[in-house]
Amino acid sequence: MTELLAVRDLAVAYANGTVHAVDGANLTLRRGGMLGLVGESGCGKTTLARALMGVLPGGARITRGEARLDGTDLVALAPAERRARLWRDLAFVPQTAMSALDPVYRLRDQMREVLCDRGGLSRAEADMRAAELFEAVGLHPRRLADYPHQFSGGMRQRAAIALALALRPKLVIADEPVTALDVIVQRQVLDTFRSLSAELGLSAIIVTHDISVVAYLCDQVAVMYAGRVVEHGPTDAVLEQPSHPYTMGLMNAFPDLESDEAVLAPIEGSPPPLSDPPPGCRFAPRCPFAEAICTREVPPPVTLAPDHWSACHRAPEAAALRQRARDPLTWRDVAEAAA
Amino acid sequence: MPYLIRRLLHMAFVLWAVATIVFLMFRLMPGDPSAAFIDPTFTVEQQQEIRAQFGLDRPLPEQYLIYLGNLARGEFGLSFRQRQPVIGMVLDVLPNTLLLTLTALLIAYAFGTLLGALMAWNRGGRFEAVSVPLVLTTRAAPEFWVGMVMLAIFAFGLGWLPSGGANTAGAQYTSEWDRILSLDYLRHLALPALTLAIYLQGLPALLMRSSMLEVMQEEFVTMARMKGLSERAIMLRHAARNALLPLVTAFALGFGQSVGGNVVVENVFSWPGLGRLLADAIANSDYPLAQCAFLLIAFVLVLMNFLADLLYGLLDPRVAHGRG
Amino acid sequence: MAVAEARAAPAAPSLPVAPRRGAWSAFARHLLRDPYALAGISIYVVFLVVGLTAEWLAPYDPMEILFTPEGGLAASLPPGSDHWLGTTNLGRDIFSQLVMGTRPSLIVGLSAAVAVASIGTVVGLLAGYFGGWADQLLMRLTDIVLGLPFLPFVIVVTALLGPDLHNIVLAVAIMLWPNAARVIRSQVLTLSQRQFVEAARVTGAGEWRILFVHVAPSVLPFSALYGAFAVGWAILTQASIAFLGFGDSSAISWGTMLQDAYASQALDRGQFFWFMPAGLCIVLVVLAGFLVSRGYEDLLFPKLRDDK
Repeated sequence: MTELLAVRDLAVAYANGTVHAVDGANLTLRRGGMLGLVGESGCGKTTLARALMGVLPGGARITRGEARLDGTDLVALAPAERRARLWRDLAFVPQTAMSALDPVYRLRDQMREVLCDRGGLSRAEADMRAAELFEAVGLHPRRLADYPHQFSGGMRQRAAIALALALRPKLVIADEPVTALDVIVQRQVLDTFRSLSAELGLSAIIVTHDISVVAYLCDQVAVMYAGRVVEHGPTDAVLEQPSHPYTMGLMNAFPDLESDEAVLAPIEGSPPPLSDPPPGCRFAPRCPFAEAICTREVPPPVTLAPDHWSACHRAPEAAALRQRARDPLTWRDVAEAAA
Repeated sequence: MPYLIRRLLHMAFVLWAVATIVFLMFRLMPGDPSAAFIDPTFTVEQQQEIRAQFGLDRPLPEQYLIYLGNLARGEFGLSFRQRQPVIGMVLDVLPNTLLLTLTALLIAYAFGTLLGALMAWNRGGRFEAVSVPLVLTTRAAPEFWVGMVMLAIFAFGLGWLPSGGANTAGAQYTSEWDRILSLDYLRHLALPALTLAIYLQGLPALLMRSSMLEVMQEEFVTMARMKGLSERAIMLRHAARNALLPLVTAFALGFGQSVGGNVVVENVFSWPGLGRLLADAIANSDYPLAQCAFLLIAFVLVLMNFLADLLYGLLDPRVAHGRG
Repeated sequence: MAVAEARAAPAAPSLPVAPRRGAWSAFARHLLRDPYALAGISIYVVFLVVGLTAEWLAPYDPMEILFTPEGGLAASLPPGSDHWLGTTNLGRDIFSQLVMGTRPSLIVGLSAAVAVASIGTVVGLLAGYFGGWADQLLMRLTDIVLGLPFLPFVIVVTALLGPDLHNIVLAVAIMLWPNAARVIRSQVLTLSQRQFVEAARVTGAGEWRILFVHVAPSVLPFSALYGAFAVGWAILTQASIAFLGFGDSSAISWGTMLQDAYASQALDRGQFFWFMPAGLCIVLVVLAGFLVSRGYEDLLFPKLRDDK
C-alpha cells in the first residue's frame, strides 16, 4: 500500500485554547484512494479539512499532531513553504462554489490566476489547460467566459472541481461538495468525481454527513465523532460490518437497502460539548455497551483487519455487539438509564 | 431594457417633484412672495412690471403651469439685478463648480480608498486605532472653518497660494480652455479642492474599511488563501476589488451632493461657482437667479443619483445580469 | 440520494433577540465599556454644563465693546489674563463669545435630534406596520428628499422663513427624517413577524396597542441613533448658515463668530486665537456625537462585527 496522507493525533484548538474542535484525529489515505470523512455536523470534520489546507478561521490553530503528505509533515512546515505547496500539492473543493468563486471575475480569469500565478504557465497555455479542465469535468470550454453567477449550482460545483484540479494536486479535499445541490445534480457531480478517480487516479478526501455519498463514491471511510476518528476502514467493511458502536448506531439510522426490515433507531442523546468533553471514550455516555474502562481511558485504535480499525475498548467483541445493536431496544435502554 | 426605463421614469418623477417644491417654496411662503425679491427702492411701476413679467399677478395654478412649461423649454427668466437670462449666468459658472467638485472627489477617493483598505488590512492594530478617530474628526470639522485655517496658513501665512477667486484679476486668456488649463487656475483651485477633499475623504475611507472587512469574511477570500496566493494578491485582487463596488456608487452620489454642498467652500475662497452664485442671489434677493441655480444643483443631484444606480448595475456582474 | 443524514435532529437556529427594552441596558453597557463612547459622553457633559452656566462663566457681555484702562478701544488684543482668548477687532471678548456661543449649537443640535427621531419613528412605525399606501408614500417622499440638495435647501428655507434657529431645525428635520423612517420601517417589518407580536395578536390586542406597546419600544434605540446623527448635522448646518450670513446675526454663535473673524480679516492678520477656538468647539461637539453613535451603530447593525 502506498500511503499518500497520514494524519496522526491532530488537534485544532479555538481562540482560548480550551475548546478543541479536533482532538487527536488519525487518518490515512492511499494514493489514488477516495476517503469519505463522515460525521454529524459539529464533529470537527470541516475543521479537520481546513486544518489540512492550513487555512483555519481566525483564532483557530493546530496544537499538536502531524499530517504527512508524501512523507512531508505539513504541520511542521514554515508558513512560506507551506503556502508554496498549497493548491500544487493539495487543493480544495468548497461546499458552495457560489460563495467560493470570486463573483467579479470570469472563470477564465480565475483559472488564469491559479495557472499563471501558481503554476507558472503563460496565458495561452493557461487558457488551453483551462479548456481541458472544463472538458474533464463535463463543462463546455465556452463557459470559461462566464461569471460564476451565470452557472447553475451543479455546473458551478464542477467549475470549482476543475479549478481544484488545475495544478494536478496530489490530493483534493472536498468539503460537502454536493450538500447544497438537489438530488439529480448531486448524482451528476458525484459521477464527475467518479470518472476523475477512474481516469486521472484522483486522490481525494470527501467530507460529508451523507453516508450514501460515501457508499457511492469512496473506497475508504473514516467516521468522526466529537473531534476524533472512531472507525476507519474500507467502505464495504465499515458500512456492512461496523465495529464501533457509534458507526453501528449510524447504520441503524440508515435504512438497510438490502433487507426489508426498516429498523431506523436513531442514537439517543447528543454529542458532548467540545468545551467539556467526557474523559475516556467520548461516545461512552451514549453507548449501550459502555463499561467502566470506557469512561476512564481513551480507547486506542484496534486493528480488526488490514486497513480497518476501530477506536473502541470492546472492538474485539464487535461481531456480538453488532447483533445487539440491531435491536432498537438496546439503544432505548441507554436513554432510559441516562434519564 | 425595462430596468432602465423604470429608473428613467423614476428620475422624471423626482425631477418633477423637486421642481414643484421649488415653485411652492418660492411662491407659497407667508407674506407677499415678491416682497422678498423686489427691492423696496423699485418704483411701483417697476414692481408691477416685474410681477407681470414673472406672471406673479396671475392665479397660482396658472403660474404653476406656466412655470412647468418654461422649465420644459429651458426658460428660467431674467435676473432682477443683471437683466439678462439667468440660465446663461448659471451655465457660465457651472464649469468652475464641476471642476472643483471633480478634483476634490478624485483626491478624496484616491486617498480615502487607500486609507480605508489599510485600516481594514490592519484591523485591530495601532494604525486603525489612530486613523478611525482622525477620520471621524475630519468628518466633524465644518468645511468653511477648515478652509479658513487653510487660508490663514497657506495663503496669508506662507503666501504660497492665492486667497480667492479662480484667476488672477486682469489676466487675459484666448479661450475658456486656455483659462482653465492655465497654471494660474490650478493654483487658485488647489486650496478649495484640498479643503473639500479633506472633508470628502472620510466617507470613502470608512466605507472602504467596512466593505473590505465584510469581503474579507467571504469564502472566496479564504479560497484565495487556500490557493496559496500572496497576501498582497488576496487583498488587492479579491478583497479590495470586491470592496470597491459600493465606492463607485458613493462617488457618483458624492458628486451630486458636492455640487450643492460646495456652497460654503466656494464662499470661503470666493470661487465663482454655482454655490457662490446661489448664496449671492439669495443675499441680493435675485429670485429668478436663485431659483435657476437651485434647480440646476438639484438636477445634477438627481442625475447623479440615477447614474449611481446604473453604475452599480454595470459594475457588479451579479446585478447586471440579474436584472432584465 | 441524500437518504440518510448522519445527523441528530438539527437544533432550531437561534434567532437574534429583538432589541426590546434590553437594548437600553445594552446601550448603557456599551457606553461604559467603549472608551470612544465614554469620551463622546464626557464632551457632551462638559458642553452642556458650559451652556447651562454660560452667564456665570462669561467674564464679559459678548457683544459689549470693551476699552482699555487707558481709555482706548480694546481691539485685537492677543490672549492674556484679562481676555483669555483676546478680543475681536471691535474690542469684544472672544472667550465670552465662545462660552455664550455654546447655546445655539446645543439648542439646534438637540431640537433637531428630537424632531428627526420623533417624525422618523412615527412615520416609520406607521409605514412599516400598516404598509400599503402609507408605505408607498414614505418611499416616494424619501426619493424626493434625496433629490433636494441639503445645504441649498436649508439656505432657501431660512432666507424665506427667517433666520431663526427653529427654521434651521425645521429644514434639517425635513432633510433627515426620511432616513430614520426608512430604517425604522424595515425594523418594524421584521419585528411584525416575531413571536411576541404574534403572541400579542393571539391574545386579542388591538392593532394600535400592538404597534405602540409591543413594537415601538423595540425600535426606539434606532430612533435614538438617528437622533444622534442629526445632532452633528444640525450643528454643522447651523454654523454654515451663520457663516454664509443667512443666520441671526444678532445672536452670538460659533458660526457667527467665525463669520465675523472671516469678514474682519482675522485670517489675513493671523489671529488664530480668534477663529481656532470656535472651530475646534464645533469639531468637538460633532465628534462627540459620532463617537457615541459609532459603537452603538455596530451594536444595532451587527453585520460588520466579525464574530464568525
